[in-house]
Amino acid sequence: MPTITFSLNDLNQLVGKKLTKEKVSELLEHAKAEIESEEKGELTLSVGDTNLPYLWSAEGIARLFKGLLGVKKGLDKLKIEKSKDVVIVDKSVSSVRPYIAAFSVKGKKVDEYLLKQIIQLQEKFCHSYGMRRMKVAVGVYSYPKITFPVHYKATNPESVKFIPLGFKREMTQGEILEMHPTGMEYAWILKGCKNYPLLVDSKNAVLSFPPIINSDWSGKIESGDNELFFEATGTDKEAVQFAANIFAYAFAERGFKIYSVGVKYGAKTEQHPLPFNEKVKISADFVNSILGTKLKESELKSLLEKMRFGYEKGHALIPDYRRDIMHPVDVVEDVAIAYGYNKLPEFGMNTYTHGNTFPITKFLDKIRELLVGQGYQEAFSHILANKNLLYGQMNVEDFGTIEIANPMTETYSCVRTWILPQLMEILGKSKNAEYPQKIFEEGLVTMKKDLKDYSRVALVTAHTKADFTEVKQVLDFIMDNLQIKYVIEDTVHNSFIPGRVGRVIVNGKAVAYIGEMHPSVLSNFGLGVPAAAFELNLSDLFETLRVSDIRKS
Amino acid sequence: MDNIKQLLNSLHPLERKTLPHLKEGITLKELEKSTGLKEVEVMRALQWMENKGVLKIKQDLKEIISLDKNGENYKKNGLPEKRFLQQIIGKKEVKISEIDIPKAELNIAIGMLRQRAAIYLKKEGNELLAAATEQGVKLASKESLEELFLKKLPMDVSELKPEDKFAYDAFKKRSEIIKTDVVKERSVELTDTGKQLSKQKISDNFIDRLTTEMLRENTWKNKDFRAYDIKINVPKIFAGKKQHYRAFLDNVRRKFIALGFKEMTGPIVETDFWDMDALFMPQFHSARDIHDAYYIKDPKYGKIDEAVMKRVKAAHENGFGTGSKGWRYKFDELRTKRLLLRTQGTACSARMLASKNVEVPGKYFGMTRCFRYDVVDATHNCDFNQTEGIVLEDGLNFGHLKSLLKMFAEEFCQTDTVKVKPGYFPFTEPSAELFAKHPDMGWIELAGSGIFRPELTKPLGINVPVIAWGIGIDRLAMFSLGLKDIRDLFSNDLNLLRKMKVTV
Repeated sequence: MPTITFSLNDLNQLVGKKLTKEKVSELLEHAKAEIESEEKGELTLSVGDTNLPYLWSAEGIARLFKGLLGVKKGLDKLKIEKSKDVVIVDKSVSSVRPYIAAFSVKGKKVDEYLLKQIIQLQEKFCHSYGMRRMKVAVGVYSYPKITFPVHYKATNPESVKFIPLGFKREMTQGEILEMHPTGMEYAWILKGCKNYPLLVDSKNAVLSFPPIINSDWSGKIESGDNELFFEATGTDKEAVQFAANIFAYAFAERGFKIYSVGVKYGAKTEQHPLPFNEKVKISADFVNSILGTKLKESELKSLLEKMRFGYEKGHALIPDYRRDIMHPVDVVEDVAIAYGYNKLPEFGMNTYTHGNTFPITKFLDKIRELLVGQGYQEAFSHILANKNLLYGQMNVEDFGTIEIANPMTETYSCVRTWILPQLMEILGKSKNAEYPQKIFEEGLVTMKKDLKDYSRVALVTAHTKADFTEVKQVLDFIMDNLQIKYVIEDTVHNSFIPGRVGRVIVNGKAVAYIGEMHPSVLSNFGLGVPAAAFELNLSDLFETLRVSDIRKS
Repeated sequence: MDNIKQLLNSLHPLERKTLPHLKEGITLKELEKSTGLKEVEVMRALQWMENKGVLKIKQDLKEIISLDKNGENYKKNGLPEKRFLQQIIGKKEVKISEIDIPKAELNIAIGMLRQRAAIYLKKEGNELLAAATEQGVKLASKESLEELFLKKLPMDVSELKPEDKFAYDAFKKRSEIIKTDVVKERSVELTDTGKQLSKQKISDNFIDRLTTEMLRENTWKNKDFRAYDIKINVPKIFAGKKQHYRAFLDNVRRKFIALGFKEMTGPIVETDFWDMDALFMPQFHSARDIHDAYYIKDPKYGKIDEAVMKRVKAAHENGFGTGSKGWRYKFDELRTKRLLLRTQGTACSARMLASKNVEVPGKYFGMTRCFRYDVVDATHNCDFNQTEGIVLEDGLNFGHLKSLLKMFAEEFCQTDTVKVKPGYFPFTEPSAELFAKHPDMGWIELAGSGIFRPELTKPLGINVPVIAWGIGIDRLAMFSLGLKDIRDLFSNDLNLLRKMKVTV
């Protein structure tokens, strides 16, 4: 969620009204934005919609506010002055970063504040919408320094040297990726490319190394500049075109004149900024069916114009700085916003539906109730764990674990395959709590063999006299109350003391281990008292009951 | 008098044993002797009686002088100087080496005796000889102040007489003969009630614990029962109870069922497809940044229904005939199969919509564990629970969504003061956020919701409007449970689990 900062004064000047902070806050709801903080007349907002980058600047917000306040309604269209400036696209970029859009602006002085605003929009746009510059990156230059035509090409990383922004000496493109902080940050974008993109003017002076860094020569805009050259390069033609529109509209909002730049792909030349001129079919009936309103066409038109759409014969005309409209429903939301969410009508649900949960959930809840009744404290752990806890500390081998490829920490690096280790960990961390300590947890474990989740319940009792009999009594209590017959078979399990561990069999299916914890396991968790435990596979148990007669009772 | 009787009835057996021995100023030690009880038992009896206003326990700090290691020895065997003297008296000159006194004490004895002019020494070759003086003979004939003092110990420093003081000071300079400890001495000070009570006769006709024998033989009749101090604190027990967060979630589940919702679920290990692609979140979209996921190491890819996948792919690429342009990019059929840990409960909604069992009209809810690539801290957990759901029915519109949100506000925040604001979710349009004025928490963002986009529902085979919602249940849980740290929702501290309040 992008955050942006601008001065309230600036916003008011752009809108042409004196708005209080409170009024701004109210209007911002229409932009899905809210004020996070205010300092010395500067507002910091968080903007919720990642599909509307035009709102990531004071200019865009002002444009929307003008519509909402009736200062200027309806579709805004850019006035573009034709120029003869051209960017010639060399075929060599087609396999690296094929597209570019460009334009220039003139007629107003850039001051420190505006400079900051331009950089802010550039950063937010390239980071979020531009996917960290991979899809689109934007460069702004001092226009008078450039001799047109400009060439966009891809060159051998070691063939050209220039001084990048922030450095005092000439570097090759290869060196920039290895040594320049910005180069290092974005080097991943060009990983595996033989040639790197380069923007030079007709005197062969380097403008920039897209999408990495501008040259020191032309790429440093300064307060006092009043003619700027803008370009956007990228891997997606539409995104590049969109970037030029976003920035051109922002400059125009401030009163700059926009001059086109021709982008020449082979024999074809496109003049940018290139408007999308898109429209989408919309009718009052469609809007009413989604919002439950009774709008007439004239009302629909007026609401659309508040949000700076145009309306023409059953179509909403989409502003060129918006690419979020894929389907008429996207326009409906804007109509709803203009109408006011809180004013929209409300309707009760039409039909009654019957609520329910899964049969197994009721079964699990019964087990939990029975255990609480036996004096056991319930626990609730993370599903993420680590192999040392699950196996190392429990004296057993890995029995098939789903591991995370990109864990944040070792502690949470896999999905648990059983619950008992986590209960042992609780005991280990709670030695200062009074004994006897009796805890259980019911929850999901996930197995690598089938990637399926299973409900389990694990239980442990720890105190000076904890033993097999005690946990078997608990198991008996559960099974008796659920009228389930079971047998216990001798088995080997290294977490438990040999000869004091068994497998619980129901209807021929092994559903649990039960036993006294092995002293070495106790010592792994730093425990100084005996413990006895079981872990019961409730999914399997429930399944076997469903298919057997026992469940009928 | 009634009070005294009542008091008498309420006495514990230990108190009853102690009472007859009480008198003003009697010490704990003395009571121990006279009652024959153990020190702790007398102490408990006294404390109980103090609580009942019978007496006050006075506590004095006393400096008590007692015998130390050497002192014990000297008391038994005599002081070294005395033993020295006794061995040389009546003899002319005795070789020091022949005197039977441990070496460590020998020098002390010689020093003491010479200081008091009780002996004289003479050197003869390598040998030192000693003989008693007249003064020495006199000293040997009677008990010294020191010896008398040793016999008096232990005693209180404040009770030292002048002659004791001399011995005391002398011993203090010598090693480990006496020690002075600060000792607490407890004694009894009777209140007026206590004075009256101690004169009472204590009856035997009194029941402390009711036994089966008494019941069988009716011997309880005509006897008084000892009255308990029912206000007294009893030892804590830690019995079983549900975990606080689970109990809260159980309650949430019950509410949804009561509201007519059916529960839905899905697997923890999910594919990119169900987690995001089926929700019409484009594979390149920056909104996927906020869903930074945990990917599975092995296996990397899962299985998905190819037919559904092709339809979702078409929706991404060209809108799948929904009237949408779609996201207009090349959908990656391999990436969509990538396995990860479910990042959002909405994945379950997508599965439900695509399932053969989905009912129209229908209401569904899911309470699912989700996983995000986050540093665990006071406001983030690596896995957490999401509560989400869908309502599907022909003819539903935004007005139904609003009333649904109001119902949630009433159910979960006990309020009908709400604001519905525009929101953004990649899979709904229009999207709305519900703010509710909680009676204690104030305005909170309670839920996010919207109507699923047609590009999402149609490829999954649904042709009616679907309202989707999610409730920020963790925050409500923390508030309801009085927790400040989200990590305490799942806690592995047994003390915390035991002391957490039970919410109603």
